[in-house]
Parts: sequence; structure tokens; C-alpha cells
Amino acid sequence: MGDANSQLTPADTRHLLKRTGFGLSKRDRRTAARNRKSRGALVDKLLRARPKSPRFKGDSFSDAQDAWLVHLSKTKAVLPEKLVLFWHDHFSTGIDVVGRTGLMTQQNQLLHAFAKGNFKEFVLAMNRNPAMMEFLDTVRNRKENPNENYPRELCELFTLGVKDLLGQPNYTQDDIVQIARAFTGWRYSAPERRDERIYERSEAYFDEGRHDFSADFPERGPKTIFTSTGGFGAGGAAFDANGEGPDEIDTVVDILFAHRDSEGMNTIARRTAYRLLEYFAHPEPSLAVVDEVVATSNFDTNWNIQALLRAIFTHDAFYVTAEAAPFNPSTIKSVKWPIDLVIGTVRALGMKLKVDRERGLRIEGGGRSRIRSHLEEMGQELMNPPSVFGWDWEVAWLSSATLLARFVFARDIGAARGRGRNTFLPKKVLSLRLTEPDAIVDAVLEVLGLSDQLSGAERALLTDYLTDGGTLTSIDLKDDDTHDERLHGLFALALQTPAYQLH
Amino acid sequence: MAITRRQFLKRSSTAAAGGLLAPSLLGNGWMQQAFADTIGDRYFVVLFLDGGNDGLNTVSPIDDGGGLLRTAYDGWRNTGVGGINLAPGVLSPQAIGADPGTGAQLGLHPGLSDLKTLYDLGKVAVVQGCGYPDFSLSHDDSRRAWRTASPGGTSSTGWMGRYLAANYVGTDIPAAGISNGVPGEFVQSATSVLTVRRVRDFRFPYDTSFRSDIDLKRATFNDLHEAARAGGQPSVLTHIGNAGTATLLSTEAYPALHDTYQLDRPTWDQAYSDNNSSTSNDLREIAKIIYGVESGVPNVNARFFQVRNGGYDTHSDQGGADPDGSHFNLHQEVGRALKLFYDDLADMGAIDKVCVMLFSEFGRRIPQNDNGTDHGSQGPMFVIGGNVVGGTYGNHPNIEESALDRSGNTVYSQDGADAFRSTDFRDVYGTILKHWLNMPHGQIVTDVLPLDTGDPAEWWTAENFDMGFLP
Repeated sequence: MGDANSQLTPADTRHLLKRTGFGLSKRDRRTAARNRKSRGALVDKLLRARPKSPRFKGDSFSDAQDAWLVHLSKTKAVLPEKLVLFWHDHFSTGIDVVGRTGLMTQQNQLLHAFAKGNFKEFVLAMNRNPAMMEFLDTVRNRKENPNENYPRELCELFTLGVKDLLGQPNYTQDDIVQIARAFTGWRYSAPERRDERIYERSEAYFDEGRHDFSADFPERGPKTIFTSTGGFGAGGAAFDANGEGPDEIDTVVDILFAHRDSEGMNTIARRTAYRLLEYFAHPEPSLAVVDEVVATSNFDTNWNIQALLRAIFTHDAFYVTAEAAPFNPSTIKSVKWPIDLVIGTVRALGMKLKVDRERGLRIEGGGRSRIRSHLEEMGQELMNPPSVFGWDWEVAWLSSATLLARFVFARDIGAARGRGRNTFLPKKVLSLRLTEPDAIVDAVLEVLGLSDQLSGAERALLTDYLTDGGTLTSIDLKDDDTHDERLHGLFALALQTPAYQLH
Repeated sequence: MAITRRQFLKRSSTAAAGGLLAPSLLGNGWMQQAFADTIGDRYFVVLFLDGGNDGLNTVSPIDDGGGLLRTAYDGWRNTGVGGINLAPGVLSPQAIGADPGTGAQLGLHPGLSDLKTLYDLGKVAVVQGCGYPDFSLSHDDSRRAWRTASPGGTSSTGWMGRYLAANYVGTDIPAAGISNGVPGEFVQSATSVLTVRRVRDFRFPYDTSFRSDIDLKRATFNDLHEAARAGGQPSVLTHIGNAGTATLLSTEAYPALHDTYQLDRPTWDQAYSDNNSSTSNDLREIAKIIYGVESGVPNVNARFFQVRNGGYDTHSDQGGADPDGSHFNLHQEVGRALKLFYDDLADMGAIDKVCVMLFSEFGRRIPQNDNGTDHGSQGPMFVIGGNVVGGTYGNHPNIEESALDRSGNTVYSQDGADAFRSTDFRDVYGTILKHWLNMPHGQIVTDVLPLDTGDPAEWWTAENFDMGFLP
């Protein structure tokens, strides 16, 4: 059984770098080949990367999306960005309801600020985040008719979950009704506009006149929650214990973070660890692994996301999907998110992205689509998830329509034969002096992180394509036609392999 | 006993051999037509109203009849600012007859005038009070309950998925979702469900700068996916193999359906465009596919479809009878789209072979909040088609104060003596499976819709797959 002190094989190192980043850069591959650090030491190094928000410029929503994409394509701090994407899905908020780009970019900065910080502080801040307040109706929560939208999703999606990991309910409808009272009266100030329209600095504030005070609504009963779940006893927990008014929403968070599941374990710790394991390791992690990483990191007392991640990245369960081909029915693999696929591909191929004033952010020489349109077709529009539930993962990413979108993206990359920015130059990532078909295929697969992910039969199919059905024994990559047709075509096919859709 | 398709293909030699490279090849393998002992020459469309449609304002009491439905309604739905009360005067033109339980006259929401027209033709079944035991107010939980027909949450396959899995195999493409993701109702791993947003755009992406090697590229792509769906792979790879191949072959057959439809049915095409709504546009895609199947286009065999309209989660600004209100607009969009779709298919001579089922993951709170409604419990379903036995089925839920639970929701009941007895949605599904999709009654219970256990008054322990809205 491995742990933080275990040595990393080159394969495991490649896996660690891939899963905590976006594909493998040339430097990553060198690191993997030469690494002598233990799991813990290398993980610590990766975790030291500091989150840095994108420079949002421009004045429209699509400008903001493009800015984020460019940032992702070139940032050195990849692990924080992977985390921000996870939190973006977790605290799902979308422009369609929020309406103002400036609020979305402000929330994006919040996600960066807390990406690997203190999860409890994160939730406290999210309660007051203007974009979230718009998205889930906190701004429309009035004392006459408390609105349940945010309280329900706070419990269901952001913290406890409807049921614990053993299938037992975590809360009742009564709890939601009471928590809704705590959130009455919260609004946010009108935004302070800077010159660039996509930055806003709105701030939440508490309007006493709109708040549900017990004295005014005695028929609603005491401000008490969790009388039947959570381990607080029949008396439950009072969220006006620190006084009525603005403190209530903070006290609610205190109570949520003290909630215990049907086995007496901390509910939020288990659920958050479960979700992070699903994201970085594989679907359906076992309860035993969940409890181990929580225990190792003491996440249930310190709420330190970075510590929890260290426990996850040094645990054997994280390395399960590193298995090499050929696979068998019990092999576990995880499906790449569209953003993983797109950014991973762009970075692996050494492509430099820049937004063109007129044409937006596209792959030059390729198809007609903007990169964010590719992502939308694959089912993942940044800053506009399909609902408060975020995106559905794993196989749900792969329907005929979204697979087709991945194939279209692959074609566009392959067809990008230009000069300059936003284009794909194979010579940046492999030597054009190679002539042996197998060596060329190997080189392409290595660039794309597929070296050990294709079976012999699959590699033979790619070699067959390169050699035009076996008729060519030597390939001249310096010949323009061979380069533009065969080599580009080979890359596109590799991007369309089933294995490339997976981690 | 006639053997099923699946048994037939298991016994015959492997379907994978030969012919996958040539798109026009029929015979063993992909794109077979459905056997007559399943859906036969019929079609089935699921239209999901996403977000929790306010049932009380969709099928509403006009008067009290022999009970107190209208009186209770007026107590819960306000007039004035923010009020969503639908006045009797607004509902009467939309009357659909009497509630079986209380005798109260019922009317459809004014936005559904087109649906009322179809109702008057006898082609709409309104099924009241549909829900399930121990209902959940969570979108996610409740959607899952309806899609898997497994309220306890133990199943991960869709209810229609289990039907498809029992009747088709991996090389079939019997179903299409007009969406980006496989609809939850259809989820399973035995057969392929196409997902396509617009058939015209569903083309395989080839690099057109270099055409000379397109055949070789296609063959390589095809073989790579065949390798993934060969035996001995993890299920996610098999899934990609199946989906990739289905996508490849469908991209070669489906886009032409758009051109054919536009050419042959231009006025209908324009009519959908004039509606200018996502529901109309999505239903048009289904019409194009059905037209293709009806015309015998090779390699197009989808007969099961799913489409969704979103926006029903009207916590605020729901609106009542005002044509600018959000609920009104949702209803009008769907009613208009369905009427056009119906007329289009009738004109094709296919409407008697089509059945459309509407559902939502829950109804909404009986007392309104400020200007909308929160999540609720039972709500109406609709079944529409040329062969449907129109009318009002099931009972309007009891909305008197004494009958609501502590949250203000109507209560689910299977008590035979209860005049307000709920309809379990699985009875609606079962009736469709039995009377439209020809699935044997016993097989429905074992393979698709297992019964609950528990108190018969509170759980679905006795099925009724003969509700009567399909002959």
C-alpha cells in the first residue's frame, strides 16, 4: 500500500502531472522521466502553485469566456486552474440567469481566491457572492414569503447533499423552510463600474427592514434546524444562537459544517472529499478511501482544501486510472471534460492562443468555429452551465452529438496549417527528421499522452493510415504534401481515438 | 413464442463482419428496422417540461362541482400584484370537462389554447394527479425518479432505456434525443441512442483541403471504434465504440433528411420557423426524421424520441393569465409547437402512428409565494396522438387546507376509496408500454416497472396498465 513516501514510477509521475494539469507538456514528460521525488514531495511542489485569476478584458460575455480560455492555455499554475473548474461546476452559476458579465468575472475571482483554501470560508463567502445571490434568488428573498431556492441548493448541492453516502436523508423540508428565513433581507450594492465593462465590484449587504425576525412572524416557530438529522439531538441547532439578523447566515454555515451523517461522521467532509476524488481520481470512490483521505488531512476540522488534496494525490486510489493498455472490463477510466480536452490538446501541441479583434478566438486555418463554440457543442459552455446542478460527468459527456463535436474539434486542429498564432505546427512538438512510420506514430502518441493507452492493434491502425495501407515504408515529413496531409491527418485521427477522450 | 430481436441476433453469425465500410449496406448489422412485435410502425415521443410545471395552473378548477376545489383554489392563488390566480372567465373557453372525482369543471391554462383545440378533436388525454410515493422536492432527485421509474433511486437505467434494452442491440439505433446528452429516460448500455440537435448539421467532419485520403481516414476511424467495442474492454470504451460508430453512420444518413423535408414540405417548414421557438424547432427535427422513416430512407430507423423545454422552475415572476407572463409563454410555446407537429404528421398520414407523452418532474406548491410558486408534488401528464382516446383521466388532487402537508403540497395516495386518489406515473408509463409499444404485461413488471412494497394505500403495489387512454 503506497503513501506519501512512496516512490513514483515514470508512469505514475506522468499520470500525476496529467491529472493535476491539462495534458503533458514537453517539460512534464522530461520531469516524468527524471523524477526522483516521492509522491508527497512532488505533490507538495505542485500544490505550491498559486491561483491567479485571468485578466478579463473586453466588454462582452464572450470576451470574458475567451479571456479565461487564453489564460488556461498558457498559465503555469495548472493545478489551481483545475480546481477553479471543479469549483465552477460545484458552485454552479450561469450568465443566463445572472445577466451581468461583471458579476460572473467577480465570482471567477472568488473561485480563484478560495480554490485551495479553507472550504468553510469559501462557503461563507459564497453566501454573499452577488452572482450567486442573483442566480439562486437571494436578492428576491423577502420576509413575507421566504424564497427557498438558495437554501435548498446550499444544502443539497454545495454542502451536505440530499442524502449521505449511505443513502440516508441529510435534512427535511422544514430545515429548508427555516434556513430560508436566515437569508431574508440580503441584497448587493449597485456595481461600481470601471472603464472595462466586464469588471464589477458589487458587495452584499443586509437590509434589516426585509429580514424575517421571529417577533414579526411568531407562527413560523423557533429558528431551529436539524431536529431529526445531523446529530444535534431532538432540540436541533438554533441559527439565531449568535443573535438574529445578519449573523444568521454565518451561524447556519457553522451548523452545516458540524452536521453528522447516519454513521456519525462529518457529512460535509465526506461529501466534499467524495466529489474531489470523483474529479481527480475516478468515479464512485469507496467510502473507505473517502474516510482515509479525510482522516489523513483532518479536513473535517481544518477544512483545508490543499491538505485534503495532498491526501488524495498521495493515495493509491488516485493512481488506479493510470493503468496501461491493453485494458480489461474491470479497468477504471475517467472521461475528460470538454475543457480538459480542448486546453489539454492546445497545450500539448504547443499552440499559442490569442484573441483576434475581429475574428475572436479561433484555431487559425482550421474550421470556422470559435473555440468557445467547440466547447459549447461538446456540452460545456464556460460560465453558463446547464443548471445549478452543473454538468453531468463521465459517460454523460459522450453522446453522439457531443462526440461529434469532439471529432469536429480534432478535425479543426488537424486542418490548422497556417503560420503565426492560433495555429498548429507539428515541428514544435516532434522532429521532422523522423522517417520510420512506427517512430512517427510513437512520437505523436507521446505528445498526446497516449503512449501506453493504445493497444498494439490500435497503433497498427494508425501506422496503416500513415503508410497508406502499408504501401510506404519510409515517410518524408519534410515533403509538404506528406506533412500537410499525412502528418496532420495522423494527429487528427489520434485526437479522435476513443482512448484520447479518457484520462 | 416469437423470438425477440436480441435472441435472433445472438444466434445469427456476428453482425460485425463485413459491410461496415459501405454506408449503403443493409443486411446483418447496423440500422435494422424494428421488428413488428415491438413498436412496429409506430413512433413515441417524450416531451419533458423541465423545472417543475405548475400543475394547478395548467389544469385548473373552474367551479366547485360537488366539492370545494375552486373555493380552495381562490384561497391559495392571489389576484392583484404578483397574483397568479386564473379566473373562471379565463378558464371557461378552455374547458375540458368535469373532474372525475369531484365533478368540478376543469379548464386548461389560457396559454394552451392550441392544446385545447386538439383536446376537442378527442386526441388529448389529460391525466391528473400524477406522482409517486414519498415524493422529493429536489429537482435532481425527482427528475431521476421519473426518468428511471425508480423513486427509491435504486436504478441507473431509464425506463424507456430498459424497454429499448429488451428489444434492441448495440448495432441498432432505435432512438434519438434532440439534445446534447442522452436523455435520462433512454439511458442503458445495450443499444445506441443518437443525440442530435439539428440533423442538417450532423455531418462527419472531414478535412476538405485534402480529399484523397478520406476513405482511408474513414476506415481508420471506423476500425478504431470497432476495436473499442470489441469484447473485453471497460464499459466506457465500449460505449465510445458504439456511440462513435453510430455517430459515423448516422452522419452519413441523417443530414439529407433536412434537405428532403425542406424540398417536399416547404410550407410546413416555414410554419415551424414562424413559430420561432425552441420547442417548434426541436419537434421539426423529429418531423424530419419521421418523414425519412416513412419515406423508407435507408439507414434511418429511429422511432423513439425525446425533447425538452426548460424554464418551468417559476419560483418568481410566474404570471397568471397575462400573455406576457413566463408560465403563459411556456404553455403557449409548447401548445403551439404540438399543434403544428400534430397537423404536420397528420398531413403526412402518420399521426395515427404517433404518441406524444408530456411530463414534468413535479408540480408546484399549492399556496403561491410572492409572485411565483416553490417546488411541489403531483401534477398532470398529457398523452397526445392520432390513436389516443381523449378525455380526462385520474383525479384532481385535493387542495383544501386540511388535505395539504405541512409544506403546502398535495399528498400522494393510492387508497382506492379516496376520491382524490393519485395516479402513479408508472401506471401511465405502463399503459403506454402495454398498449402502444406492445410489451407483454408481465414483462413490463419484471423488466421495466417493478412494483413497490408496502402499505397499498401509500405505495404503488397494484399496477394499472389499462388506464384507457390508448386502445
